Amino acid sequence: MADGHRAAYVAFDRFPSTKGSAVHIRHMAAELFDRYGGGLLCVLGGGGLPSYQREGDVEIVRFDAVVPNWLDRAEAFSAWVADRLAAHRDTLEVCHVRDPWGALPALSLGRRLVYEANGLPSIELPYTWPLAAPSTLAKIADLERECLLKADAVVVPSQVIARTVTARGVAAERVHLVPNGADPVPADVPRPPDAPGRYLIYVGALQPWQGIDVLLRAFARLADLSDLSLVICSSVAPSRSRALRRLAERLGLTGRVHWQHTLPHAEVAAWLAHAELSVAPLTASPRNLDQGCSPIKVWESMAAGTAVVASDLPVIREVLGEHGRLVPPDRPAELARAVRVLLEYPDLCADLGRQAREHVENGYTWTHARTRLAAVYHGLDLR
Amino acid sequence: MTPCAVTTGFFTLGKCGQMAIAGCPSCGRALCADHVTEGGLCPECAAARNQVGHPAAAAAHRRRAYRHRSATEYSDYGWYTSFDAYDRAAFDPDAAGNQDFRDDGDDALVDS
Ligand SMILES: [Zn+2]
Ligand SMILES: [Zn+2]
Repeated sequence: MADGHRAAYVAFDRFPSTKGSAVHIRHMAAELFDRYGGGLLCVLGGGGLPSYQREGDVEIVRFDAVVPNWLDRAEAFSAWVADRLAAHRDTLEVCHVRDPWGALPALSLGRRLVYEANGLPSIELPYTWPLAAPSTLAKIADLERECLLKADAVVVPSQVIARTVTARGVAAERVHLVPNGADPVPADVPRPPDAPGRYLIYVGALQPWQGIDVLLRAFARLADLSDLSLVICSSVAPSRSRALRRLAERLGLTGRVHWQHTLPHAEVAAWLAHAELSVAPLTASPRNLDQGCSPIKVWESMAAGTAVVASDLPVIREVLGEHGRLVPPDRPAELARAVRVLLEYPDLCADLGRQAREHVENGYTWTHARTRLAAVYHGLDLR
Repeated sequence: MTPCAVTTGFFTLGKCGQMAIAGCPSCGRALCADHVTEGGLCPECAAARNQVGHPAAAAAHRRRAYRHRSATEYSDYGWYTSFDAYDRAAFDPDAAGNQDFRDDGDDALVDS
């Protein structure tokens, strides 16, 4: 029989997965478990993932009940987490959560709570669930606020979301900035065997606010660069790229756009490193403007030494600073022009890539992020 | 040699692959010496029967066994009582926006 755990990390996310959130969970949970001699990881399962794993001092339990309604599922997850945590009632000191669904059971147990606010459901949910009424979202915002206010520490990946969280009443001294990071890609990483000659790259998920439609329209304006391809490394399954593939077809891009789906994280680095440019065409939606994010794709492009062209949004400025090229969001013509200019000046491109990589090496590797998180835990332990 | 079929790893998952010395009497998968639990089951089957983990977990599991596992059980906690049928309807599977953009689809297992 195992002893009880001192720490639990709870996420209403499938883990592992090919999404940026999984990379984040991997490093944050590793820091928590290193500090507290192991721990309990409560995440979503399904898709063939085991419902239970023991890896050394870490136990991984996955929620895999089939509950069709999303809100019912969140509720069932909370109840399931409450049971998992109750088993460690005698020993549990810290719960680290990413959403209200994990925070609620942690709060009822009354242990120290670290709430990692990468996004806020009240802002994020309408994009997936357009029928959610304002009154429903207001209830979700209430739950969210209650969890944030009761957390001992709120960890945010960007200043943008730090402002959103403090605007909701969280005391500024309890908000801690832990930007995402990336680990430098070795300079000699081999070119992927199926990579086209010269290519632009997009890495990430395919939701509308990612702006991939803008990127496709911009790419259509570069048709004269006949040796240039666009590689879309989607972190989600092919079934979810249908609408964008149809758009690419309508724009006459068939054959010039290469789709890669759910590549293992380790392989994406090579695709990034050998691209001419990496594009992050995020839209100026409330989601990106108010909530912000800390786009792992931008960090990873920088770490690969590849120049980044990205939408000029506060959250992108925070990450990229002067080490990339900013363009107005939602403007295909401007994006196309910026790409064209950079391709004409390969030295400038190489310089930007090198600077970006140094910027990451000097302060934004995952080791740096873990050190910042460790300081948050240290502060809690002193209280 | 029969390789152990237990899935291992934290971020990159794969099969254990060590030499199997037994099979799980419940699911039949091949198990190495590291992955056979005290009761002879694989870790997943043992966890499902609550034969691993903290003793308190086993007690909680026994208590739960007397209760009917259904959606009503989850409402015991009261956190979600403010959501009525109208709120919930917006989150039915057919109420999702463009299904292509659903964030919780069936992504493949990240196998090495
Ligand atoms: Zn078994
Ligand atoms: Zn094994």
